[in-house]
Amino acid sequence: MGNKLLVRAYNVGVGDCIYVRIPDGDQNFHILIDCGTISSINLLKSAIKHIEEYMLPDAEEPGKKRLDLVVVTHRHRDHIKGFDPTFFGNIQIKNIWLSAAMDKQHPQAAKTLSLHDSATRAMRDIEARGLALSPTLQLLVSMYSINNTDAMKALRQDLPEANGIEPVYVHADKPQNELSLPLNSASIRVLAPEKDIDGYYLGEEADEMLRGFAGHRTYFTRRSVSIVDAYPENISAGDFRLLRSRLLSNAFAFAETDSSIQNNTSVVLLIEWRNRRLLFTGDAEWEGEYKDGKHNGSWNVMWTVRPQHLCNPVDFLKIGHHGSCNATPWAKGRSLDYEVNQILNEILPLPEGNKKPSAKAIASTQRTKVYKPIPAAELLEELGKRVSNTRTYYQELSALDLDFEEKQPFEDYWEYEQVDCLMKPQPWRTDLENMLTGVDYVDVEIEPGD
Amino acid sequence: MATIDIPESMKKKLYAVAHVLDSNTEKKLGLRIPFDVYLQDPYVMSMDPKFGFDDDCYVRWEPGITDGPTSARFVVVDYNGDTERIATPAKWDEKKLKFLKGRRILNRKYKDNLQFHQVNVWAILQRALDFFESGFALGRPIPWGYKGNRLIVVPHAGYGENAFYDRGSKSLQFYFFESDGKTVYTCLSTDIIHHEFGHAVLDGIRPYYLESVSQETAAFHEFIGDLTAILIILRNNDFRRKLVEVTEGNISEADHLAHIAEEFGNTVVGQPYLRTAKSEMTMDQVSEDDGPHKVSQVLTGAMFQIIKVISSHYLEERGRTPRQAFWDTIQRMQRMAIQPLDLLPPADVTFKDYALAVLRSEELSNPTDPYNYQTKMRDVFLNRGILDETDIENLEKPHYLYERLRMSIFHDIDNISRSRTAAYRFLNDNRKELYIPQYQDFIIADMYDANKYTRQARRMPKQIILEYIWREEFKLMGPEYGRFDGEITSLLCGGTLVFDENGNVLSWFRKPGTQVTKGKDWKQEMEQGEKRLYDLMNDIKKQVQEGRIGLVHDSELGVIGSRVPPIVPRKVNRALRLELSPHLRLAEEISEKDLGERKWEISF
Repeated sequence: MGNKLLVRAYNVGVGDCIYVRIPDGDQNFHILIDCGTISSINLLKSAIKHIEEYMLPDAEEPGKKRLDLVVVTHRHRDHIKGFDPTFFGNIQIKNIWLSAAMDKQHPQAAKTLSLHDSATRAMRDIEARGLALSPTLQLLVSMYSINNTDAMKALRQDLPEANGIEPVYVHADKPQNELSLPLNSASIRVLAPEKDIDGYYLGEEADEMLRGFAGHRTYFTRRSVSIVDAYPENISAGDFRLLRSRLLSNAFAFAETDSSIQNNTSVVLLIEWRNRRLLFTGDAEWEGEYKDGKHNGSWNVMWTVRPQHLCNPVDFLKIGHHGSCNATPWAKGRSLDYEVNQILNEILPLPEGNKKPSAKAIASTQRTKVYKPIPAAELLEELGKRVSNTRTYYQELSALDLDFEEKQPFEDYWEYEQVDCLMKPQPWRTDLENMLTGVDYVDVEIEPGD
Repeated sequence: MATIDIPESMKKKLYAVAHVLDSNTEKKLGLRIPFDVYLQDPYVMSMDPKFGFDDDCYVRWEPGITDGPTSARFVVVDYNGDTERIATPAKWDEKKLKFLKGRRILNRKYKDNLQFHQVNVWAILQRALDFFESGFALGRPIPWGYKGNRLIVVPHAGYGENAFYDRGSKSLQFYFFESDGKTVYTCLSTDIIHHEFGHAVLDGIRPYYLESVSQETAAFHEFIGDLTAILIILRNNDFRRKLVEVTEGNISEADHLAHIAEEFGNTVVGQPYLRTAKSEMTMDQVSEDDGPHKVSQVLTGAMFQIIKVISSHYLEERGRTPRQAFWDTIQRMQRMAIQPLDLLPPADVTFKDYALAVLRSEELSNPTDPYNYQTKMRDVFLNRGILDETDIENLEKPHYLYERLRMSIFHDIDNISRSRTAAYRFLNDNRKELYIPQYQDFIIADMYDANKYTRQARRMPKQIILEYIWREEFKLMGPEYGRFDGEITSLLCGGTLVFDENGNVLSWFRKPGTQVTKGKDWKQEMEQGEKRLYDLMNDIKKQVQEGRIGLVHDSELGVIGSRVPPIVPRKVNRALRLELSPHLRLAEEISEKDLGERKWEISF
């Protein structure tokens, strides 16, 4: 057995399917963190097949392979879509950890769950009506599709039953003895979400907004008629259509708030192994600076409530939310003592003098026309200064294909990819690594630090 | 007031000549109809019932008023985006000259009725439009900033602490929300209605102002909104009476104004229109990071300071009673603050442009200025940093009321004003003198005439206003433009020429470009154009770096309010245009920076 810890990010488009192998004495401990994508499910099926065939040891149960821990950071489909029981038919899962925000019975998530249910109903209604939506809103609607319900059922019920286990809903306040695993060489600590999900991530204002909205919806419904029965007669149909498209939509606002809360209640894991620290962040976001009683980003909460775990450099960072600019704590143009800039400088400090960075990072991502700003070009350029596993992708891809700049995947691709940033070192990213090497995953190996 | 019953056919004839009737006669003839509207809003009424309803709100009768309410310029559509339902429109009764629900006249007795809300917002807007179109203001019918003549008014658009003017849907949208157990309807707040209407008016008379990334131009839009709210409420007899009582006639005292501002401005909504009026902010206190609401306080404070100066003058030097002094001041302010809007350049307005327009407009309506109003106003603008010493020196240089416009080819004003094409021929024949580049095609952005009044409703000579505009394209080059690196955009150039009916040039406000044909003073013109271009490029860089430019994510069913960015990019003929999106957010302003870079993107 090798003595290096392996992090393997499969190229699944915009999504995460992260395999971690931790050397533990004469065994290895095998973890799968998320299995989802907004792209084709076949990518996930292939990834799981690959893990099963090449990475996992034999299980006690004959004909099966052993997977020690599945961690599902949050319920978005780019993290859960691949949890189809048929993909895991030959895999014995020993433990399943889900975010406490996915627990229907969690006492301090009642309001958040109510928001999620309201958003789900609204988005499914919109989906059923086949309305014309911008690509981004279409993506938001799709996050609530019925298929997500299947994946959630698989995680809460089907997979645990098939493996004779119960899922564990994890949060940062859970006692370590309730999270014990048969792992001696490493500890796996949950840094987020906090147990009080409503308090930290929903906030009082959002709660008031939801209550007010529900009350007034009833009031106005009683005092008015459906537009099916009484179309306005004093403006044209075209003007009315345009008006409807430019009113504020609370349905989308709630879905967007809910979606943000789902990201912010991602399970954030700190794996400490032989003096090495590895941070897996799901889609945890940051939002300004911490505000007591308000809707907060996960990074802000972690920094306020559990700063001791973020006050030292990490050796590995799973770049959050596929390289989105507010899932890595960095505020360009703000001072060094701005909250999130402090966090980044602690976990991934810029090397001093002529020293080279030693940390590593991976972005599991792909730039698509559905969501063009991800990954954020300037963020990747900044992270490229702070990690050792980098490439200057523009030069390397040009060397492979002189016309590569002309063959952009969609019309304004280069507006977002930014040639200038691509010409600078960036951390490894699954989409471009696949273009360069043809391999369907990206490996980062971590040497022991003792 | 008792009205005289007249047959409808007679009424229509009188309506056609109503502009020569005084308002009392109009009221007697039923050509102005009283409506119950809130003086301020329900919150103020709950604090002091004396300031509940405005007993002096009259709306002009029109032959086409119908259910909605619907009139020539406004159409109320009571559609709620959350429920996707429509409330029954208020019904118009021509005989009673009132809106009804069933058989009930929608007056203050039915103030909690949704249909009363419809009438409330409509009547306030009708009155506000009258305010702007009167001879004491712009003296002409004003257009909207889009193709169409009716502004759609949505009094209960949905749940939220919001209200805004949206050019895209030709609408004023008013939302409602809960606060301290009470429902706050923004469609019942007179200040909010006036503020949003101010945006619509400015967009109508200067539509290119929305195509801007300049801090000052955005702030000017907010200033007009606040100014509208302040000037119209100050016209209210009850409010003025109270102000005079509280200040014992001395309204120059800031404390007294602050007191009245708290009482009238401190609604549940907390709109600080009157509080911004007493702001003492100056231009050198404005930082790059300040938002348009904050920056606008410099100009709002300056104009209110002028109100105080003039009111003190009436009181102390002209021997008026406090009530009369204040009324005279407010009448004067309507002329002084609104009439100059017609002189402004067609694009890229600055506070200095407005101050110079105010002074020029005052010079035209009061050329001899026996009481030195112009000096008083110049001092205020100088102290606020809106004008500098060089500007004042130039203004104080001896000059004639009318200066001749140098032209190669004379065109008679009657010919110029015949049509836009005729106006174009005039400008084209005089390109060099007018600093319009030879190669450049340009458009006549607007041309109209106005009949404005000076004091005591004396008519000024008719004004003919001609706005022309062209685009000077340039490329954004460099990583500091982020994803717009390599895009083509444009510097809006042009001018506003104002003539009197004899062809005398009353004013000429220009926004130069960088391509200027050699001629008299051409270098100075070019340098100004180059400075404009430099400033625009810096403004774009700043907005990009601050992440204030984003797309609007929309659907058949609407947009996400918190994700509507302040600046929206659009492509026209493959060139980039950057446009302001004026949304009023009533909730505590979250610093845009606090939302992280991905402010306008949706979380998924």
